[in-house]
Amino acid sequence: MRFTISAAKPEDCKDIERMIMELAVYENMPDQVKISHKELERDGFGPNPFYHCLVAEVPEEHKSKDGNTTVGYVIFFYTYSTWKGRTVYMEDLYVMPEFRGNGIGKALLGAVAKEAKDQLCSRLQFSVLDWNKPSLDFYMAKGAEDLTAKEGWHFLRFHGMALDNLAQEAP
Amino acid sequence: MDFTIRAATFEDCKDISRMILELAEFEKVSDHVKITQRDLEQDGFSKNPFFHGIIAEVPEHLKSREGHTKIGYSLYFYMYNTWKGRAVYMVDLYVMAEFRGKGIGKALMTKVSQLGLAAGCTQLNFTVLDWNKSSLDFYLKQGCWDVTSELGYHCMRCEGEALQHLAQGEL
Repeated sequence: MRFTISAAKPEDCKDIERMIMELAVYENMPDQVKISHKELERDGFGPNPFYHCLVAEVPEEHKSKDGNTTVGYVIFFYTYSTWKGRTVYMEDLYVMPEFRGNGIGKALLGAVAKEAKDQLCSRLQFSVLDWNKPSLDFYMAKGAEDLTAKEGWHFLRFHGMALDNLAQEAP
Repeated sequence: MDFTIRAATFEDCKDISRMILELAEFEKVSDHVKITQRDLEQDGFSKNPFFHGIIAEVPEHLKSREGHTKIGYSLYFYMYNTWKGRAVYMVDLYVMAEFRGKGIGKALMTKVSQLGLAAGCTQLNFTVLDWNKSSLDFYLKQGCWDVTSELGYHCMRCEGEALQHLAQGEL
């Protein structure tokens, strides 16, 4: 199947919002999505964007059942390791179910890895839910390591009132 | 104890580099540290920095046994959560052993959360090794939660040859 991978434009944010929700439904957490295309437009485009995005598009003749030609996306941003330096964090990678098995996910992942190398990043990091066996298998087959299983790393988070309380104690 | 928390400057990179090595020794991985003072200067103090830093300093009369007045640091950067929007990630939080127990670690962390909230972030994220009980206890006591234990997210990484192959589209 023919498809293209290109940098997202502000006009793509409605499609990205739609696909973020589809991914959240797959991860069984649709009620957790609190941002819309407005925040995506504000935060992803400008001199200091909070994230970068690539979208996968198919020609009109291959459009989805619902008439969409933007069928996949990857969102990533640059991060830092005080041991290894520049790194890339891949926040989301998603291809609509009816377009899977055509190499689109692999192409999006490869495009992010290429950006990482171009920017002299030594690592590509991301997270996967422990029950998401198809994704775990996909990534492990490409040489990814599970640092939680291997080294014991856990993600921790402050949000809501706990974050507000913490900030109020700042000197 | 009398101390101040302030934004890190280019000149602080020598002390940050020293303390990064001290933290790596504590985490039992000092041979993993590949970046230098020069990398920190280039990556943290250019037009599009990969990270931001804050430093904890004590007055001259309270300097460390080896004569240091810069005795703690935190490095952080802005990131994106596709469900909640802008977030801040705290890469490292460290206070030299002889200055612990005086509220300096907490002051650094609260400062990062204050800066994050000011930038419109709704989360402060970071990682901790599961065997690092003293750090886990410290953070959980402040009201954070363990995303890995509670939701099952695993930290994944591609680097070295695996990253190279991905970038070249070989897998």
